[in-house]
Amino acid sequence: MTSNTSELFLAGATPPSLRGQRCGACGALAFPPNPYGCEKCGATADLLTDQALTGRGRLRAVATTFVPPRKDMPAPFTVASIELADGPVVRALLTTPTDESLRIGDEVQAVLVSFSTENGAQTELRFAPVEAS
Amino acid sequence: MRKELRELRPVYVVGIGLHKYQAASETPYVQLGLTAIREALRDASIAFSAVESAYTGTALLGMAPSRVMLRHLGGSGLPIAQIENASASGSTAFRQACLEVASGLCDVSLAVGIDKPGRIQLAHERAGVPDLVSGYVAPFTHFALLAHEYMHRYGVTAEQVAAVAVKNFRNASRNPYAQRTKAYSLDEVLAGPRIAGALTRLQCCPVGEGAAAVIVASEAAIREYGIDRSRAIRVLASVSRSERVYEPGCDPDTELTRETLAMACEQADIEPQQLDVVEFHDAFSIEELLYVEALGLCGPGEAAALLAQGSFDIGGRWAVNPSGGLLGMGHPIGPTGVGQICEIARQLRGEAGNRQQPNAQLGLAHMVGIGSVCVAHVLSRQQ
Ligand SMILES: [Zn+2]
Repeated sequence: MTSNTSELFLAGATPPSLRGQRCGACGALAFPPNPYGCEKCGATADLLTDQALTGRGRLRAVATTFVPPRKDMPAPFTVASIELADGPVVRALLTTPTDESLRIGDEVQAVLVSFSTENGAQTELRFAPVEAS
Repeated sequence: MRKELRELRPVYVVGIGLHKYQAASETPYVQLGLTAIREALRDASIAFSAVESAYTGTALLGMAPSRVMLRHLGGSGLPIAQIENASASGSTAFRQACLEVASGLCDVSLAVGIDKPGRIQLAHERAGVPDLVSGYVAPFTHFALLAHEYMHRYGVTAEQVAAVAVKNFRNASRNPYAQRTKAYSLDEVLAGPRIAGALTRLQCCPVGEGAAAVIVASEAAIREYGIDRSRAIRVLASVSRSERVYEPGCDPDTELTRETLAMACEQADIEPQQLDVVEFHDAFSIEELLYVEALGLCGPGEAAALLAQGSFDIGGRWAVNPSGGLLGMGHPIGPTGVGQICEIARQLRGEAGNRQQPNAQLGLAHMVGIGSVCVAHVLSRQQ
């Protein structure tokens, strides 16, 4: 499985933060981060600085996939489009395999999920519904 | 001084040909391609020796497929190249052929699209920029997310989205080159199996094999070879774009389509409403609703109601995907964009038989491709 690696999040905060990138030339805020340059203005990577994005947001859309793109993937799984509280919209896996109980606008937060693979232990960032209290 | 296509030498579609789109078979791609090219040569009533350059749109065949095929038409030494631009490979091959004739570099050029199903290797997976959903978001999941957002925003139902496929299957059932030839009912489309979100299997295009060929020519070639001028279809505009950075949450395919189609209509000097036939990239049912609105045939959230009224049917206000589109005719990748040009030329000639849009004068072809890229052409019966 392709890794959703630690390059993408900053552990330590609760919920974990996403590793965004701020462009020092044009101010664009991007996720995921990249080692090459700003997608908005073309500034080189040395002008990009990490900016933590809060791991809280709201669902813009969800889709449960029943047919996995690769045979080694468990299905069903659910991917969401999430508007982070800090503005960017990201796509992430949800911890719930299906979307039956989810509604657009529901609050979600990042969680780190650990599991073992043939290449050893792996940690992925996913999003989980925030239980109404 | 920068010029647009219409300010260069006029370019005409003078020959069209197809090999039926179908599920993967033992037929070599050479046979698929030659069938389409020979049909296009017969249609134009010219010999292959008159063709001065050839562009092959293909994404999956591998390195150097063109001469392996074209040599069987009589090796003339013509310049050839393969064009890979994801789903828009065929559209881009057609654009290159048009540009070569328009610029005066040649008088007759061939665009052919061919593919057979094969392993798809996406470069972005090797870009060194991981994201949270790497590998999980296939195109059907991407468009299922867009469908969910659209349905929620405008109060559109799953049945209304699925109705796109019902219309396109009805059109495809009248198209002898289509891969899906059955006019499925709404119940059959909705019955599943479910692929992702609201999208059932019949709301996802079949990716099979096939071929499509288009010959474009200048005024000089039409005169020199005695080509029937009354069947020549003018190419008014050719626009090719790639994705920019849009506002957070904007769907790049729709935004890219919006700006590309606006440029195409502007270059052709037409209003979108003047179009008679439109072939959209409807790889997934929801896309047709998104792109109808992005083109400006109606306002945001209005497409589903117009579809239900028959506005997009053959015989309606605009014939949208009269070929059956990617959902019905199929999406063999390389051929698809060239096949759209074949359909529009056939419609504008008035030769589309039982799927003819009455009095069709103007047509638009639209493809998007992973990346994202978008390519659009406007064709006109008026010369
Ligand atoms: Zn920048």
